[in-house]
Amino acid sequence: MVGSLAQPTHLPPYFKLRKVSSKSAREREREPSLFAFAMVLLQPDPFLNELTSMYERTTERGSVWVTLKRSSMKSKAKRNKMTSAGETIEYRCLVRATDGKKTISTVMECQSKLVLLSFEYKLSAKDHLRFQASYATILKAHMSALKKRERRDKKKAGDGQTKQEDLKKPPKKSSS
Amino acid sequence: MVYISSWDEFAERSIQLFRADPQSSRYVMKYRHCDGKLVLKVTDNRECLKFKTDQAQDARKMEKLNNIFFTLMARGPDVDISEVSGKEQSEAQPTKKGRGRKQ
Repeated sequence: MVGSLAQPTHLPPYFKLRKVSSKSAREREREPSLFAFAMVLLQPDPFLNELTSMYERTTERGSVWVTLKRSSMKSKAKRNKMTSAGETIEYRCLVRATDGKKTISTVMECQSKLVLLSFEYKLSAKDHLRFQASYATILKAHMSALKKRERRDKKKAGDGQTKQEDLKKPPKKSSS
Repeated sequence: MVYISSWDEFAERSIQLFRADPQSSRYVMKYRHCDGKLVLKVTDNRECLKFKTDQAQDARKMEKLNNIFFTLMARGPDVDISEVSGKEQSEAQPTKKGRGRKQ
């Protein structure tokens, strides 16, 4: 529906009418429903499995966001109460992952930002090394689209020269 | 938003930024396989540091930074050992290997 809208003359200029973009049926499907604001809190292994499938899904199109944040997972009011009571607050590393595509219906925590599909996991110091290792493995395995170093071409040329030198050396040794 | 061209500068400044305000700082990594691009962002909601790359070597450096941030966030911003132990280990190994020949 292209066409300029008739501006209301009886209102001040800042009340201009703006044309609402006409959305196709496909765009309307992608619109987030209320469930989209949900975030699923998982255990480490299911989180890593879902992260792997997220990377596999977004090879042709899309991005994967992974956010690391320090969090006590407690509200500010409770944190203030704990500090005033003298209790030490245990902080953890919050890991969030999203691919910004589909919605998920399970509600574990609500977030104010417009995050569509996301998974969270809390880490304590004990599970650290195992999670770090698995996480690093997943990243290494899936970040294959990044460019390799150009030095390899130079190295190949260098190897060709050294091989020629090695061939020359043995006949000299055998003669002496 | 500031894109930093040097990896070392980005790593050092992002760790400083986190240490200054560990409560509100976060480390975000965005990867697009279709474009082959990796973007890292560290922000405390006031200042923002970003690093953009398409090189595989930077992915390896990023993994080390990931480990540093994991440790910082879990154990606290005052942990110096995490960076030092990682670097000390890498320094200790070459010194052991050197000059082992008997003359």
